[in-house]
Amino acid sequence: MSSDIAISVRNLSKTYRIFGHPGDRIKQALTLGRVPFHREFTALKDVSFEIKKGETVGIIGRNGSGKSTLLQLLCGILKPSSGSVTVNGRVSALLELGAGFNPEFTGRENVYFQGALMGFTRRQMEERFDDIAAFADIGEFVDQPVRMYSSGMFVRLAFAVAIHMEPEILVVDEALGVGDAAFQSKCFQRISAIREGGGSILLVTHATEQVAHFCDRAVLLDKGSLISCGDTATVLAYYINHLGLTTEKSGAGSLAIESSNIGADEQFHCNLAYNHNETRWGGGGATITDAHFFQDGRKDPATFLAGLATELRLSIRFHCNIGSLIYGLTIKTKEGGVVFSANSRDILGPSHTPSQMAGDSVQISFQFNPFLDAGSYLISVGVASETPSGLLPHDRRYDSLVFRIEHPLSPVGSIDMNPSLHIISGPA
Amino acid sequence: MNIQHINPLAIIHALVKHHYLLGQLIKRDVLLRYRGAYFGLLWVFLNPLIMLGIFVFVFGYIFQARWPAQYSELPFAINLYCGLIAFNIFGEAISRSPLAVRSQSSYVKKIIFPVEILPMVPLGAALVHGTFNFLILIAALLWAGHFSAQIILYPLLLLPLLLLALGASWFLAAWGVFIKDMAQIVPLLVQMLFFLSPILYTASMVPEAVRPLYDLNPIGAVIEACRAAVSGTTIGWISWSVSLGVGVIAAVLGYAFFQHSRDEFADVL
Repeated sequence: MSSDIAISVRNLSKTYRIFGHPGDRIKQALTLGRVPFHREFTALKDVSFEIKKGETVGIIGRNGSGKSTLLQLLCGILKPSSGSVTVNGRVSALLELGAGFNPEFTGRENVYFQGALMGFTRRQMEERFDDIAAFADIGEFVDQPVRMYSSGMFVRLAFAVAIHMEPEILVVDEALGVGDAAFQSKCFQRISAIREGGGSILLVTHATEQVAHFCDRAVLLDKGSLISCGDTATVLAYYINHLGLTTEKSGAGSLAIESSNIGADEQFHCNLAYNHNETRWGGGGATITDAHFFQDGRKDPATFLAGLATELRLSIRFHCNIGSLIYGLTIKTKEGGVVFSANSRDILGPSHTPSQMAGDSVQISFQFNPFLDAGSYLISVGVASETPSGLLPHDRRYDSLVFRIEHPLSPVGSIDMNPSLHIISGPA
Repeated sequence: MNIQHINPLAIIHALVKHHYLLGQLIKRDVLLRYRGAYFGLLWVFLNPLIMLGIFVFVFGYIFQARWPAQYSELPFAINLYCGLIAFNIFGEAISRSPLAVRSQSSYVKKIIFPVEILPMVPLGAALVHGTFNFLILIAALLWAGHFSAQIILYPLLLLPLLLLALGASWFLAAWGVFIKDMAQIVPLLVQMLFFLSPILYTASMVPEAVRPLYDLNPIGAVIEACRAAVSGTTIGWISWSVSLGVGVIAAVLGYAFFQHSRDEFADVL
């Protein structure tokens, strides 16, 4: 295996033996396995892919598609029925947060024990303990039994331990939806640091947004088979079009947009504020083709004045018949913190569920007053449909526009609350 | 069973490689049992002493059990305690072994973990308890004024018993994963074995007619040897060595069986 490969999976299959009754297992053992008393269930069929060092790869698929089985095989928890898994480096697995934690022991004791599980000596853990405690940020609770913890504290500590084990390969199974927003952003920063340090990350999640945000590549599984493997946007589009929504055929449905269609009338990237590092993904049933800002009668100014009415006009083209449309807008700081988020359903009410036909083009206009401190912000825009099984994204353009604010007073903080001050009465 | 699993060196390798983790697991196991209890670690002493008191009352006082002359120098309670300590290590370890893996499914399914050390944990915890009991025994011997230098051999003499317990633990832990009933069956077997081992009596008191059958119990020779070490009489090295051989075979086969079946643990739990 070449040295830049972290994980290599070759023709991997996993078949479970299912015994109808515990006694059947004994019967089979008594016949020395000659008479089968079991059925077989194939959870993974002939899957092959490679993950390079430093890559972040998302594994997506519906429930029961074999994602967790694949992760367990990668970690060596399960044995392959056929094929092979070759792993190059220390693996830290977050298959279940706090697995191995015992509620009767204190956080400190559990941290040291978790270290022992990972093969760290007491001394090595002593060096790391302060960092872990600081990251988890649970204060004096670290010396209380874990059963006293709130569920939030529990996952923070568990997460803190796992990502301080200097993993070369970090395997995360649906564990990132933990903690408050601030803690999540801390986790993502730490994960980015692992990635920059040359570590590989494997993320298994239902949250396609996380995959879109963090992963260089994605692997799509369905019914145990590898359906698609490649760059994130392509795989996600495939997922959404072919698998994500089998219940609603009328939506983006099975009509996949040829990539040549996208871009035919695209002007979006011509905007001066366009950010080339945007993350774009979605089913492709609709595309956001153009964007323009207006403020104080000026079109697409280089900078915007804080607090002054601003308009963002988006052009959207529909490539198939779509209902229950929602348009969204999010403004974030450069660090990724959300300062403002709004969508058409919030603004116009839940009864506003427009539909569009294939070939339609619409223009929508968001108006807002950016009471923000001076600096650069990132704007994300998106168009999606609401479905019984959740939001179905057609086109999401994360961090696609840079929004520069100028502020005459430069207040301290990120939001200008438009303060006023009156001296009501002086001293007598 | 795959022949490649039958490898005595693999057991030693596992012990050396994971000794720190195993130590931590045993420490947790012992502490967890007493944490929060009003008497705390005092139970380590109270438990065997209460049992000893009951046995002495029933068998020494009510039944008026008479032991052969060679043991008459020591009080009945101490003679009984010699065997009880040894047997309790074995009994405690294997009674808990069917749940050793089953009750720790998160170690099997959710983390990368050397599962083969899990069945060693009950034995390790039993050894900790055994050590405390042994200290009580020494204190009692000093108090009785009958202290034989041979007692140094006591821990060594336990070796066949520990190997037997280890082998049985691996075997039972693996079966316990697949068959829930093991957790019920094993304590019953342990109780049977308790009465079939020379603890409340000596092997020489067993009628000649059933002796050949009785001597098949490999634990018997170990308990007799342990008692001989304490009372300062001759140790039956030959039957002890046979038990040692049985112990080594049990450990190797138990480990092999465990390794053979472990691939399916995660599928079942």
